[in-house]
Amino acid sequence: MTTGHYSQRRVVITGVGVVSPIGCTKDDFWQSLMEARSGIGALESASSGHSPGRCAGEVTQFRGHIDDFGDLDKAKKKAIRKALKLMNRETQMAVAATQHALGDSGLADDDVDPERSGVSYGAGYVSMMPQDFLDGIQSCTDSENEFDFSRWGSSGLEKMTPLWLLTCLPNMPACHISIYNDLRGPNNSITQREAAANQAVAEASHIIADGAADIMIAGATGTNILPLNMLHTVMEQEVADDAPDPTKLCRPFDRQRTGSVIGEAAATVILEDFDSAVGRGAHIYGEVVGSGSNCAAAGHHAEKRSDAIAHAIKAALESAATSADSVGHVHAHGLSGRLADIEEARAVRQVFGGKADTLPVVAAKSYTGNAGAGSGAVELVASLLALEHGNLFPVLNYEQPDPECPISPVTTTGVEAGSSFLNLSVVPQGQASCLLVRSVE
Amino acid sequence: MESRRRVVITGVGCVTPLGATTGDVWDGLTAGRSGVGPLTLFDASSFAVRIAAEVRDWDLWDVGENPRRWQHCPRQTTFAIGAAYKAVRGSGIEQARVDPLKFGVYLGCGEAFEDFGNFTRSICGASRDGHYEPERFNETALRIFDPDSEQEYEPNMPASHLAALFDAHGPNANCIAACVSSAQAIGEATRIVRRGEADVMLAGGAHSLIHPFGLTGFERLSALSTRNSDPASAVRPFDKNRDGFVIGEGATIFILEELEHARRRNAEIWGELTGYGSSQDAYRITDSHPEGRGTSNAMRAALADARLNPDEIDYINAHGTGTLVNDKIETLAIKRVFGDDAYRVPISSTKCMLGHFTTACGAIDLAVGVMAIRHGVVPPTINYETPDPDCDLDYVPNFAREVPCDQVLSNSIGFGGQNAALVVSRYEPVGTPATQRRAA
Repeated sequence: MTTGHYSQRRVVITGVGVVSPIGCTKDDFWQSLMEARSGIGALESASSGHSPGRCAGEVTQFRGHIDDFGDLDKAKKKAIRKALKLMNRETQMAVAATQHALGDSGLADDDVDPERSGVSYGAGYVSMMPQDFLDGIQSCTDSENEFDFSRWGSSGLEKMTPLWLLTCLPNMPACHISIYNDLRGPNNSITQREAAANQAVAEASHIIADGAADIMIAGATGTNILPLNMLHTVMEQEVADDAPDPTKLCRPFDRQRTGSVIGEAAATVILEDFDSAVGRGAHIYGEVVGSGSNCAAAGHHAEKRSDAIAHAIKAALESAATSADSVGHVHAHGLSGRLADIEEARAVRQVFGGKADTLPVVAAKSYTGNAGAGSGAVELVASLLALEHGNLFPVLNYEQPDPECPISPVTTTGVEAGSSFLNLSVVPQGQASCLLVRSVE
Repeated sequence: MESRRRVVITGVGCVTPLGATTGDVWDGLTAGRSGVGPLTLFDASSFAVRIAAEVRDWDLWDVGENPRRWQHCPRQTTFAIGAAYKAVRGSGIEQARVDPLKFGVYLGCGEAFEDFGNFTRSICGASRDGHYEPERFNETALRIFDPDSEQEYEPNMPASHLAALFDAHGPNANCIAACVSSAQAIGEATRIVRRGEADVMLAGGAHSLIHPFGLTGFERLSALSTRNSDPASAVRPFDKNRDGFVIGEGATIFILEELEHARRRNAEIWGELTGYGSSQDAYRITDSHPEGRGTSNAMRAALADARLNPDEIDYINAHGTGTLVNDKIETLAIKRVFGDDAYRVPISSTKCMLGHFTTACGAIDLAVGVMAIRHGVVPPTINYETPDPDCDLDYVPNFAREVPCDQVLSNSIGFGGQNAALVVSRYEPVGTPATQRRAA
């Protein structure tokens, strides 16, 4: 029994759901990891405005049809179908991942007290879709193709759909999830980019531990594929976008890596207090025992991001009143960025010292690309499944170790997952977050 | 089990349409002065709404920062930085040698919208003969958009800037929960300090939706007042002839500090953050729950957290946007929680004078509560001329009122069904009944 921050009530994960480039069911997702099958390919969706990002981890299976949302009762199916056009892509993926997770958890309606159940979800910068503006812009554009702003208020604006703004807000995933599932308890949306998922899960866990709720839906959704998201990514970092074989593009910690790959994804976990979970005979994936969040920001100094990751790890270990030795594996942020991977490896080496020589490191982005906020949640689910199955999945394309990344990425299947893992996330501005999850005996 | 760590407010800074010091804001509010005026930040002459509550005649020189250093940042980031400097300096925290890893930031800052001109030019540039070619959008935008500015639009940026400026390397987050964001940030920051993850937190929010996209979005939702001819009278919370809110802008940042940490350095204590509740209507994206279910749940949760009964609340700072729906439902929600006592407690909304700061309103509302406690005065709801039978409580109409305040409840309600409530209390050392209840 820990004496850390989560000791008032223990918090466990009883359901998982994922919408990702390598599968939209838990089983397909795990199968892809076991078969080392990448979901990165040529970008199919034209509306992304692609170029230069011509390859991506795209969830081609997810078309935003009602069938993508899993097994739903009649009322829920009707409600979701009716609202599909109100939900942007990230929200649709979040809702679908959540419905899958709820199904996976086996929670019956009786098990859920609406007032004691809430949502904490991570989301990223929401792309405004150029398509939404076409009619309006056209009505303000002259024959020379020049847009006249002085006409926007009187003739362009009225061509926008009335509810347009509601499709652009990062809290919409959490709101839609609450509405379809009648979750009236604490509700928040964390907008910390890639670091959001761990923070959402940690915050949700604390809410349960503090007694403010008994069940929390937590996760994150994101995309770097939609127009403005891709624009931001391409402007900010090196993006690996084109290769004869797209599956080779994302190569975390590999010496030949050239940059991150854009992607999209969402994943959800169901959190419950331990006693209730055991009481209803729930399947338990693991227990949230520690978390840390940190910011070491001072412009673009490499050392600072490294510090942020190291401090977040230490904070997580401290909050769990446990030591680095106890960690079974690390799920890295594993961006495949030339500098980013060095910074992360340095942080892991700093905390784990010599143990970093053997501590297994995995990186789901090698399969999916970087889905912004969504990736942290997908990574969490991958490691939970690894804990469950007892073995890890390889980091794709890790062929040549980089001496500047002195850590141990997994290269085969069959490596033991251990009984606990750290999930790491960091954003370029130096905000890092870390979650520590442990198996329950 | 050890008793809960207490969280006090040892600094507050703000940048608002009524001024950039708490003194100026308070003077304006208590005098019933409005910060709503003609919209000048862009040419809104073709819009149905041409009024806003703008921050005027202010820039970062106010806190000794060269605006050029921050020229790529959207307005709200500059407000956040300004407010943070004021809070930090006022609190004396920089002299206190705080452990940087126990000094964090939690904000509720909204996304900043793209430059409208860049966006529309990119769409036009990706069009041929009036036909938009989506696959060309990004290559066009890359020639037009400014990379430095683009990065600054993302909502995690203000929290990273504050962490860098003030060596606050501890827990760091931003949340967006519509108009509840900054209240939620303050509540979650309070929890972080209570559980010992940090000893000091910068908490609050900043936002500016006075922007073509903001106006477009809210006009389409029919949420805005169109009383362009008399801006100061436009926002009239709870009044029968209210017709919507006015977009405002601003930032408020608090220093939240663990009590013993504050006492050891003889910090001035403005108040104690005693209660926080968060909830969801779980009803509809487009409408609030008709009986104020979520809003009342959040209030009850905050009161329970503060170990207070409703009849111990001296003042409610309402969300009170001035829309037909919000004010009616908030009134219902207050009645659900307070019962007949709802008729006793003074309630006012300062959005009539400050406008609606969208994600940042919860923070300025809390600051109003803090000042109410400090001064023993509650600000008025101005423009209250015609009572509405659906809103029949005491909204402190038109004139500020002397009311000794020890416990203040502040509501925030957001699009999509979000709700948050905060309770701020006069700081008392141990010994009073309320503090004993909280220590139990």
